[in-house]
Amino acid sequence: MPRWLYSVIAIVIGIGLGLFYGWVVSPVQFVDTTPASMRADYRADYVLMIAEAYHADQNTDLAIRRLAVFGSNSPADIAAQALQTGQTIGYSAEDISLLQELTRALQAYQPPPTPIEGTQKDSAPTGGAP
Amino acid sequence: MKRFPWEVIPVLAIGIGLGLLYAWMIAPVRYINTTPITLRADFKDQYRMLIAASYASTHDLARAKIRLELLGDADPVQVLSAQAQRLLASGQPFDIVQQVAMLADDMQSGVAHIPPTATTESIASVEPPTSTPAASLSGTVAPPQTAPIASPTIEIVSTIIPLTITPRPTYTPTPTAGAPAILLSNDKICNPNLTDGLMQISVIDAHHHQMPGIEIIITWDGGEDHFFTGFKPEIANGYADYIMQANVTYTVRIAESGTPVPNLVAPACTDSSGQKYTGGFHLTFQQP
Repeated sequence: MPRWLYSVIAIVIGIGLGLFYGWVVSPVQFVDTTPASMRADYRADYVLMIAEAYHADQNTDLAIRRLAVFGSNSPADIAAQALQTGQTIGYSAEDISLLQELTRALQAYQPPPTPIEGTQKDSAPTGGAP
Repeated sequence: MKRFPWEVIPVLAIGIGLGLLYAWMIAPVRYINTTPITLRADFKDQYRMLIAASYASTHDLARAKIRLELLGDADPVQVLSAQAQRLLASGQPFDIVQQVAMLADDMQSGVAHIPPTATTESIASVEPPTSTPAASLSGTVAPPQTAPIASPTIEIVSTIIPLTITPRPTYTPTPTAGAPAILLSNDKICNPNLTDGLMQISVIDAHHHQMPGIEIIITWDGGEDHFFTGFKPEIANGYADYIMQANVTYTVRIAESGTPVPNLVAPACTDSSGQKYTGGFHLTFQQP
């Protein structure tokens, strides 16, 4: 038997052992994942829950904080994506309406202006020397 | 006898090294298309809070149940109750705690206590996706399916609400400011199986929902203590208790608003063998 054949057989046996270990003895288990990694329909349902809560409290800031679990995409984009998924998989008109309401609110959302350091006029100190 | 071909060992090691290089550096595992059951514990907590917030808005118990099932909790009611206690202990806003506790209560009773706004309502139920991600050789999961199978499907079920239920336009689960909690019952308890001097307090709302997070103030000559309902979910979410000393007169009231209940002295009781022990009370308050 040629010597190179030993190497080929060794690799094949190694791959076989690796697959047996990976698939049978210790298969991949998905744990400690994030909402961003969920399948599109689960993500859409998550956003729908946010939309349902938003419909009651009309709290855009809270909705944005809740959507932050999906990562760095803009909240409006996340909601729009969920709306698209909902339309694709046949959400009811009521659910679509809730997602549309949330999407519109997020698209129109203007974050409150934050004061920029150094642009405010220094105010004269009160009291002190006459 | 042929010698063992030792030269294949370094070849095998090189192969393994190349495989690991590919798996860890070039194409590391990315988890995609996972299910809620695999979420990290804190994300599951957020998921439950969101289900509760959604339920507080829609009062759709069937949908909330199905969503909770996605998390794979063995006993969703117990998990929700425990989470409500954790939220309470960590000083989370009352309305968030209340939403989680309310969902736990309604899950336990199987009835959405919040009256609908009409005599009929649509109950949309989300069927959990049935397919599971298929692991590929590299450890990733299969790409999303474009077909609308295994996706939340919406099923409209009309349910007739009995006419005896009065529709209410809104529901506010928080205690009504200014409305004093009333004492519904004050029962002397003589039970030798209970802790001596145990004062048990239950706080419920107008709909007989258990109310967690309610502050109770107990005073006695020269002392005062504060405690909260909701730390013993295994008994009830609106339950709290306090150990009274014998021969001390206590006054109890709900902190937010409530009429004080004075002159509470742990009663002297006698068991079946004639042995004396200190009994207790069970006070039930109702927040209008």
